[in-house]
Amino acid sequence: MFKSLVKWARIKSPWILHMNCGSCNGCDIEILAALIPRLDAERFGVLLKGTPRHADVLVCTGPVTTQMKERLKRVYDQMPEPKFVVVVGQCGSSGGIYKGSYAVEGGIDTVIPVNAYVPGCPPRPDAIADGIIKLLASIKKGGKQ
Amino acid sequence: MERIDILLSIVYLLLFPGFLFLFAFSLFTEYLDRKIYARIQRRVGPPFLQPFADLVKLSAKEDIVPEKAEHFMFTAAPLIGLAAIFAAFLYLPIVSTTGLHSFNGDLVVVLYLLTIPTLAMFLGGWYSGNVFGQKGGMRVASLLFSYEIPFFLALLTPALLQGSWKMADITRFEATHPLEFVVSLLGFFIGLIALQGKLERLPFDIPEAETEIVAGPLVEYSGRRLALFRLARDAEMVVGAGLIAVVFLAGPEPILPLEPVYLSWLVAALVFLLKTLFVIFLLILLKSAVARIRTDQMISFAYQWLIPLTLVQIFIAIIVRFFGGI
Repeated sequence: MFKSLVKWARIKSPWILHMNCGSCNGCDIEILAALIPRLDAERFGVLLKGTPRHADVLVCTGPVTTQMKERLKRVYDQMPEPKFVVVVGQCGSSGGIYKGSYAVEGGIDTVIPVNAYVPGCPPRPDAIADGIIKLLASIKKGGKQ
Repeated sequence: MERIDILLSIVYLLLFPGFLFLFAFSLFTEYLDRKIYARIQRRVGPPFLQPFADLVKLSAKEDIVPEKAEHFMFTAAPLIGLAAIFAAFLYLPIVSTTGLHSFNGDLVVVLYLLTIPTLAMFLGGWYSGNVFGQKGGMRVASLLFSYEIPFFLALLTPALLQGSWKMADITRFEATHPLEFVVSLLGFFIGLIALQGKLERLPFDIPEAETEIVAGPLVEYSGRRLALFRLARDAEMVVGAGLIAVVFLAGPEPILPLEPVYLSWLVAALVFLLKTLFVIFLLILLKSAVARIRTDQMISFAYQWLIPLTLVQIFIAIIVRFFGGI
């Protein structure tokens, strides 16, 4: 019973941390647009936090540049378990048009494990919200604890 | 008989209106705060159990103590803050004219206990070994002097009018002299604004300022310790609002002599709750109406406006008392 209570709490209160790993800023603007009063992410318990220590879900954008690789790893390591990663945008999912460049790693999942992808260039704000809700649904079904 | 007394005080301490009640009421207050704030911004707002879900989730998360942090103080700070708040709550008169314990000067004790969470916040930030945490801790400590003086002076006005430092005397006096509220109206609003500063809410959330220093003293906190800090913040809001309700709005008075005695306790607690919720509602309105101000603006506001106005209020109280009281 205690376990199911914790699971319920985890689904009801995902606090997100937003990180730009070399994106063109298009996806970042759309992430901020997903948090506006009109869509009101707080009704799902989503709060935008500034520090990795408070966050449960890391929302990343952009192909990982060589410079950002170490930083991304570090921020991921600073988050307390259990933690989840959502990738927003084409570049973050696969490297996008930057794939094969000498300056990028290509895709967030080459550096840290990823739980959900939201494709698009950039994705719509409601698609981003939907991505986070789908992640929560997958936790509910009993994915990673 | 004695055994029943001991049982009653244990129930008072742990269940109602003790720790469990304060716990539930704090979470409800946070819900109310976020919901009304959201409604004013034309949002839907969080669901009813949101603060509880946050608390459970944080308690079940991994607990990280950073390498650079001082382990003992980093762990002790949230506990000290929460313990001080819970101790202060026991002195508030809720079900009867007195709290668990009442003596001459209990008002000063509660005011003192309400200062400790601020210091705990400062210590927690300072020993977290993070630059943002230390910066936030310094802001907490430096702003303490700007709101603490008006808060103390404003809450002492009713004591001056009545001539006693005992909360039970103050509430009884106010219940029999309703005019007292009109005389101390200025003090009531000063107390509200200073309490807003004490709780580090808008427009005085300078120590947390997430656009400048991430999360202030709480930057390195995660898991259980963060949950304790959040709970302490909510409980501080309840106890602070309750204290204002007791000192200015006569707390649980008028107490009706109902039979059986449990019924009169229940009614008194209900009256106290309504008054506290009214004060909390005013705090939420203030929060949603303003934006954050700078550190220097806050200090000059406190010293140029709040403190002189408090002195005017005390002067009024002394004059009224000189001409024979209310």
